[in-house]
Amino acid sequence: MRAHLKRGMPRHWRSLEERTPTPDLRAEGWNEFAPGAAEPMAPPADVLSRRRFLGLVGATAALAATAACSKVDRGFIVPYTKRPVEVVPGVANYYASTFQEGRRAYSVLVKTREGRPIHITGNDEHPAFKGKTSPRAMADIMRLYDPDRLRGPRIDGRPALWSEADRLLVEALRSAKATGNGVLLLTGAVLSPTRRTLIADMKSALPGLEHAAWEPAAGDAELSAARAAFGGPALVKTKIGQAKVILSLGADFLGGDDPESVAAFAAWRRPRGPGEPMNRLWALEGAMTLTGAKADRRVPVKPSQAAPLAFALARALNERGVPLPAGVQASALPQGKSQGNPLSAEEWGALLNDLRGARGEALVVCGASMPPEAHVAAHLLNAMVGGTLAQARPAEPLASLRDLDGVVRRMASGGYEAVIFWGVNPVYAFPDADRLTAAMERAPLKVWMGVIEDETSARCRIVLPEHHWLEAWGDYGDGDGVVSLQQPTVGPLYDTRQGEEVVMGWLKGLGAVPSADYHAYIQTRWRKEVYPQGSPVSFERYFEAALHDGLVRTGSGIPAALAFNGTAVEVARGPSSAAFDQGFELLLAPGYAVYDGRYANIGWLQELPDPVTKNTWGNPLSLSVADAEALGLGDGDMVKIEAGKAAMEMPILVQPGQAEGVLVLALGYGRSAGSVAAGIGVNAFKFMDAGSSSPNVRTGVRIAKTGGRRDLPITQAHHRMEGRDIVRSYTLAGYAREAAEPRPAEDLVTLYDPQKFPLHKWGMVIDQSACVGCSGCVIACQSENNIAVVGAEQVVRGREMQWIRIDRYYEGDPRRPGTVHQPMLCQQCDDAPCENVCPVNATNHSPDGLNQMAYNRCVGTRYCGNNCPYKVRRFNFFEYTAFKKDPEALAYNPEVTVRPRGVMEKCTFCIQRIEDARMRARDENRPLRDGEIVTACQAACPADAIVFGDLKDPGSRVSLLSKSDRGYKVLAELGVRPAITYLANLTNPAAGEEQA
Amino acid sequence: MHPFDRAFRLILPVGAVAVLVTVLAVGWFTEPDQLLKGYEPAQPIPFSHKLHAGTMKVPCLYCHVGATRSRIAGVPSVETCMNCHRVTKTNSPAIIQLTRIYESGRPLLWKRIHDLPDYVYFDHRPHVHAGIACQTCHGEVQTMDVVYQHMSMRMGNCLGCHRDPHAALPEHSPVKRGPENCYACHR
Repeated sequence: MRAHLKRGMPRHWRSLEERTPTPDLRAEGWNEFAPGAAEPMAPPADVLSRRRFLGLVGATAALAATAACSKVDRGFIVPYTKRPVEVVPGVANYYASTFQEGRRAYSVLVKTREGRPIHITGNDEHPAFKGKTSPRAMADIMRLYDPDRLRGPRIDGRPALWSEADRLLVEALRSAKATGNGVLLLTGAVLSPTRRTLIADMKSALPGLEHAAWEPAAGDAELSAARAAFGGPALVKTKIGQAKVILSLGADFLGGDDPESVAAFAAWRRPRGPGEPMNRLWALEGAMTLTGAKADRRVPVKPSQAAPLAFALARALNERGVPLPAGVQASALPQGKSQGNPLSAEEWGALLNDLRGARGEALVVCGASMPPEAHVAAHLLNAMVGGTLAQARPAEPLASLRDLDGVVRRMASGGYEAVIFWGVNPVYAFPDADRLTAAMERAPLKVWMGVIEDETSARCRIVLPEHHWLEAWGDYGDGDGVVSLQQPTVGPLYDTRQGEEVVMGWLKGLGAVPSADYHAYIQTRWRKEVYPQGSPVSFERYFEAALHDGLVRTGSGIPAALAFNGTAVEVARGPSSAAFDQGFELLLAPGYAVYDGRYANIGWLQELPDPVTKNTWGNPLSLSVADAEALGLGDGDMVKIEAGKAAMEMPILVQPGQAEGVLVLALGYGRSAGSVAAGIGVNAFKFMDAGSSSPNVRTGVRIAKTGGRRDLPITQAHHRMEGRDIVRSYTLAGYAREAAEPRPAEDLVTLYDPQKFPLHKWGMVIDQSACVGCSGCVIACQSENNIAVVGAEQVVRGREMQWIRIDRYYEGDPRRPGTVHQPMLCQQCDDAPCENVCPVNATNHSPDGLNQMAYNRCVGTRYCGNNCPYKVRRFNFFEYTAFKKDPEALAYNPEVTVRPRGVMEKCTFCIQRIEDARMRARDENRPLRDGEIVTACQAACPADAIVFGDLKDPGSRVSLLSKSDRGYKVLAELGVRPAITYLANLTNPAAGEEQA
Repeated sequence: MHPFDRAFRLILPVGAVAVLVTVLAVGWFTEPDQLLKGYEPAQPIPFSHKLHAGTMKVPCLYCHVGATRSRIAGVPSVETCMNCHRVTKTNSPAIIQLTRIYESGRPLLWKRIHDLPDYVYFDHRPHVHAGIACQTCHGEVQTMDVVYQHMSMRMGNCLGCHRDPHAALPEHSPVKRGPENCYACHR
């Protein structure tokens, strides 16, 4: 069992307390269960007391006994009056659509049952996404069913009719047109070519219209750096799949919202044998991101240091014979080995060697939150060693925070006759909200359009409810030769309208004559601009095919890559060293789950543990280990941070691997509107500096301990594994040794009869080397299996319900730890310890190797959860579904039981999908095919780290992979014979000193 | 007789029997089968299976299309009725009522007769494909003017057939047993 220690295996740890246990921890925290895990929630005063409850139970029983003498009414069956041809009750339909978030448009498949969307996955027709999507895209289905959604238009806070709102607005726009006054239209990023056309139409009908597209969490530096380096707004399109060496400057391209990059990266990370090549990832970053966690060598670097370091790298590369692009003077670049370089000489040399050796196949990626200088430096390095892997392509410009500041100034001077906010929430996300609201007072008409009321809508006179994207039409161009379509997958739930159609109504009022509806408007544009002229296929057929696939590969409209302009370096180099003074640096990054706050009302995402900090429900301030020690702070201690005029109190979280002198705070929390979102965390947007070119990095931040303490809802310290060989991680060289000399299989004696599996034996393989920890599987499972959200108070007690969790293990020095992610779910053990302790046989074994859980038989003793060595069983301490409000229940998967209070539950390997595939195969009179059954977690995994299948079929993918020389079973020494094989994590660190 | 003896010989057995009788009696009268079998509610449209399935010999699957394609056999849409009743018996009051519902698009609320708990995921497909007649579970529907519940919908009934299905299956059926594991029906 402790063999790994003898073999010099790294010892993994989960939390700082575990690494250096204190006596205090031994006393209480070492306990497997969190304090309070067994106590019930204190009932609020107005809730039933125990005595009253018992009284009611007695009365109910007596009533039931008398009432039961009549036949029980079983309600109604309501068939369709006119059944849509494509709907067979009980059979799911899939529709291709597109979901936009910020500057990304995800091509997705929407699973619907009886006309209501219940699950979202990626669209497998899409050449880049290949059937994968982001956790947030999957969870956005809950925004459709959000009880807080607006149900109709409102004027001055009272419900109104659309006609009234239309009339008011058209009058205002007409008067603005007559007087020539300005009208502001503030939207999010516009990726839809048709919406762009519509806004252009609007502009020509109303010359005073000023349109600004603003993404508060997107980071302004990327575009401003691109303006300098490429002469215009541009975005870098990276080919991560072709890169042998990747250097990340604070970039989080493995952060789950970029499934394309995760897939391309992971494809390199699962060699079938020791001889196969792997890519190498270097990460220089201040925060601990998922990308850094996956890096082969990660160096904590302050965001402000990234640019000088990268410029120094360019100079050192130049000294080693890599030519600089035209216009860059080597002498203008700083020296690398100057003091204060956070990389050791050995690391510096190895990084240089890697970048030089992989010229043309090396890639430098810079994070969106990084300062513009760092972006210019990344562009410079890419121009030197990147070949064609990083291509700058012209992009639609976005309004930066500075631009928005200008807009607010104009608003304050009374420059706008009307302001229209469409799908944006500036009152929340603009740093100086007071100034904005004061400025808004000067605008005679304030209009807001969106899905869920927010801070901004509360200050607008006319509030217009928009369709959720699952109810609306749209199209998106990705600038890569693919145009995707968004189609309604459900009729509008409320009296809402498609946003574009509202704008079309204004156009009509202004005298322009647009199409009848937005669907027709899209088709008109498509007929002109997308449909290939002279095609033998009619347009109707063409559009229908596009709707079916969700996209069209036009192959056109790919802009040429822009060339790097060397003079940008001169400009960028200047401020980098001077602008950053002493004090802490505060890095403001989009919240992993809530992004810029738009998802803050979705419980699934609030409860999704951040894959690195494992924190749920809020945004504590992350602090490096050294800083926390110096300040005498521990997890949950309250601090006050001050930056300029902004000051706020919040709890802290000590984050191993974070750079010293760096504070990290997630954006998107601290909302004041929304029944779920309000009051969770603090609003980090307040710390943004509207005057800075790099608003996401704030310098000169002061921090002070205030003395209070708060329990953080962290899932990390639960399910601890007591220093056993749970995760395995090899270097590529270590893997070769391991493969050459495999460990002897443990021959464990069992007292049980061997299990027999007549037909199938379901099993799974999880490749920890491919897994990046993005947590897409967690959300997919939550959606597929109707998993409850329990709230922060319950998470503190270790009662979170997710069936699959991502365990995160650190190894080594807490200042620079290595990290391994391990998805942990029910292992479906052959000799499952949970089964033989169940007093009512509610959990037992199926003939195809599943550890079954019959909810209706469970009496809730929790013996099974206690006896489970993996701690993957989840108990319903409360009737969590009782807190559901209409229409949230519509998101339920009708193929999975909704579990009541007092029942144990756990992963079923998506038995509903297994059964469905089995029935289909039987209907078609054929055996099940390998790969036909795809579990929800597997379908969602962008890294393709999860493989499910039949272990009895020797040719199945899962059988072949489970025999891999990286394969092992977690806690094999217990002899429970789990059905999941884990493949050891692999790293590919650079070896040796500088050789050049 | 020692008072304890009396207690052991008389009061205890009598008490035990009394408790047992009470439990059994309450159990018998509240037993779901007692309550649920024979449930025969009036329907909003007096549709007769005896006429349609018996006399006219309309196949079950003509209306209950889901039985071969879906877990749920389903109740036909009003439109399915109208396939015939646009021209047939259009003067009958029930058909006039039906036509009105169809034209208004309002839902038609049939009383549910066969109901399984929410945690049971019965699938019609394998049963129909194995050649089990609908009547095996639903009774001789073609003789019923008003449909009632023929069979008990308890788990014991399911398992009885799964353990020994030959009476329900057609002759020479290759099926020997139905699955008996929990996940076959519960998820």
